[in-house]
Amino acid sequence: MATPVSRAAAAVPDLAPEREVRWPQRTKARLANGLEVILVESHTVAKFHGELFFRSGNAAAADRSVSLAEMTATMVRTGTAKSTSREIEERLRGLGADLSVSAGQDTSAISFAGLSDHAEPLLQLVNELARDASFPLPEFERERRQKLEEVKLERTQPGFLAGERLRRVLFDKHPYALVSPTEEQVAAYNIGQLRTLYRDFYAPENAILLLVGDFDPPTIQSDIEKVFGSWSGKRPVPKESPWPPSPHGRCVYLVHVPGAVQTQILCGCRAITRKHPDWIKLGLTNSLYGGAFNSRLVMNIREDKGYTYSPRSAVNPLRQHGYFSVSAAVRNEVVAASLTEIFYEIDKLRSLPVPESELLDAQNYLTGVFSMGLATQSGLLSQISTLALNELPDDYLETYRQKVRALTADDVLTAARTYFDSANMQIVVVGDRQQIESQAGLFGEVKALDAHGNPVS
Amino acid sequence: MVVAPDSTAPVVTVGVYYKIGFRLEPQGRSGFAHLFEHMMFQGSENAAKMQHIKLVNSSGGVLNGSTMYDVTNYYEAVPSNALERILWLEADRMGALKVDDENLRNQRDVVKEEVRVNVMNQPYGGFPWLDMPPVAFRNWANAHNFYGDFADLDAASLADVQAFFRTYYVPNNAVLLILGDVHPADGFALVEKHFANIPAGAPPKFADPTEPEQIEERRGYVLEKFGTLPAMAIGYVLPPRRTADWCAMALLDQALHGGRAGHIYRELVLEKQLAVEADGGIDDIFGYNGPSQMTTRILHKPEIASDETLAAFDTIIREIQEQGITDSELGQLKVKWRSDYFATLEGGRGGYMPKYGLMHLLACFTLFDGKPQLVNTILDGFLAVGKEQIQHVARTYLTPENRAIVFRKPASATEEAA
Repeated sequence: MATPVSRAAAAVPDLAPEREVRWPQRTKARLANGLEVILVESHTVAKFHGELFFRSGNAAAADRSVSLAEMTATMVRTGTAKSTSREIEERLRGLGADLSVSAGQDTSAISFAGLSDHAEPLLQLVNELARDASFPLPEFERERRQKLEEVKLERTQPGFLAGERLRRVLFDKHPYALVSPTEEQVAAYNIGQLRTLYRDFYAPENAILLLVGDFDPPTIQSDIEKVFGSWSGKRPVPKESPWPPSPHGRCVYLVHVPGAVQTQILCGCRAITRKHPDWIKLGLTNSLYGGAFNSRLVMNIREDKGYTYSPRSAVNPLRQHGYFSVSAAVRNEVVAASLTEIFYEIDKLRSLPVPESELLDAQNYLTGVFSMGLATQSGLLSQISTLALNELPDDYLETYRQKVRALTADDVLTAARTYFDSANMQIVVVGDRQQIESQAGLFGEVKALDAHGNPVS
Repeated sequence: MVVAPDSTAPVVTVGVYYKIGFRLEPQGRSGFAHLFEHMMFQGSENAAKMQHIKLVNSSGGVLNGSTMYDVTNYYEAVPSNALERILWLEADRMGALKVDDENLRNQRDVVKEEVRVNVMNQPYGGFPWLDMPPVAFRNWANAHNFYGDFADLDAASLADVQAFFRTYYVPNNAVLLILGDVHPADGFALVEKHFANIPAGAPPKFADPTEPEQIEERRGYVLEKFGTLPAMAIGYVLPPRRTADWCAMALLDQALHGGRAGHIYRELVLEKQLAVEADGGIDDIFGYNGPSQMTTRILHKPEIASDETLAAFDTIIREIQEQGITDSELGQLKVKWRSDYFATLEGGRGGYMPKYGLMHLLACFTLFDGKPQLVNTILDGFLAVGKEQIQHVARTYLTPENRAIVFRKPASATEEAA
């Protein structure tokens, strides 16, 4: 207690020397049937986390229906040749496991986590779901009805309505434009379509199995060979859809929600994939703009002006493309004021180089947060799967920090000018038309729509 | 203070927990504990507004805070070379808060948008966590609006902020935790250096959260402005924490609400197909220190009457009361409980913060029980539960006079009926 140090030590302590960030070794293998396997040890808790990814999702089935891969994924756990839905759920509980099956635009995935001492039986169950799902008709009727209620419900959520509209505006005729089916599309799903999609997509040649956790790699590798070795199936021919032109000029899409007490703003423009050489540059630029708490956007419209609780910008990668977006839920009176600041900060970043100290802070932020993935099994899994799915170079984890540190204020300026396409940003506002239309109209021609996308006059 | 070393990654998580949450905030100042939490980022003796966030982010880390029933926490995860800087920052704001009216106005606006985005402008916003307390409880401490009535938020003054700080944010009402890449001796020395001179305060006096005895089922009704499905939430008051009944209740909760294998989801969604969503349970079982509930949340099909849905729910409860559960089910529940416990320790709430869950448990066991080491033994009590105990708690606690029900009725349906 008698330390002479004064409480009023006004100076911020310096950072101590950095401890080396050492990424764990990845063990890679490919089974004879084409299944790629990546194993990473992490002994933080006596568990393991895994993903069985298929390189096909909703976009690859867009010519059949909307979100069909997702509906298929929902059905996978509802029955197999050997087990009923109830037996599957009870087996999972008895293994202490969590499991979900889902699909996005570019992938379908069985994600799971369980206790290390029950690893093999969990892999057995994952294998069963990937190969022998039986799509029982009563389960399908039930899940389709559930889905119908889900798609109704999401049309009452401002965040969903904004995201859906922006995707449609940015990607137009491309499958990436559609994030969710209509009620009519759900009603028209049929079980034959799902079975066909399952046969096409859920094949070992189309899959990557990733495991991170508390295990001995040679032992688990032999379990994997035993469990998945006799599976067979070809990789489907990937489909490419032509790109519609990017929208030109700012346009405002107002999704009318009568009685809304707040307005969800979402602005965006097309950008790039994770494989693009500018990806890291764009990530740093986004972090400076609105990707971190300490960013310009958050400091401006939250900490200075109090317009909103959770403003953020993001770079959203898809396999074939990507987009930049800015979102904020603001009170109805300050829609125009918020948009003004959103564009002010974009234009400023496009016009003036960032000061060196601010650049350094953002570089420290990105490199520090990147290493946090090391500390948990799920964090590590998420980083490893990003690399695998995007076919990024093996040394990506080891070299990322250097690459971020090497960037200059000039790189940021160039990235902002190239990818924060201020003049052609599309603006979505979700709120009560009477309260916000005149404000929104200051930023471009307003197209007013209802929650279902029909024009309102 | 508590140190939990682990050198897997060069990352350290720091948390400061104060033993005050929204349950015991001052009457007439609903929402104040949460508004105050925002003020703790607005400036302290030597770190002005913006500095707190900037210092953490620019050291390569992330930060946040949260207000719960009985505790409020502030936490950072940073590369381990920033440990001293983070401790300095936490010590600085434990020492003295330096905020002005402008900061208060700003954060009051931010909090109102938080309430709008999470509650007022969302379908089923605040359901049931804000809807249930006024129906279930009679003591203001347990029953008020924790996010705050806007009139109360508007009435909050800078004097309230400083008084709250002086009363509850004293070192003798807090625990500091360091987890991850640190040697315990180094951690203790740094804490000594930065915190030792912060004077202790008078031990805070806490209002009594005890509830008067409940003698009949309680019901309440709330209008749903956006959603189209009728909803209901059923809450049962829990046995006192760290008793044998409490452990049995936790496994009963797992039997009822454990995902798609749980009795409630299985019966209401998969088998009888009355409901679209059916979930819930005991929220944050280790993190409260006063009356709390196990709550089931159900959204059901519009063509099914609420009475019919509730009757189906009651059938599930009655079945467990009459027949209990099987040995094989109990075995499954325990494996799942152990697995979930490990998952909590590693990640848990706020999964982007390594070891958030371990931090939370260590903090709550320290503040409520004075025994952080409970984290190593608490699991034993749950794994020792027998199936007759599960039937016993089902009969004792899942009774009408121990429950409250909130019905959330869609405005659209009301209009059509009118």
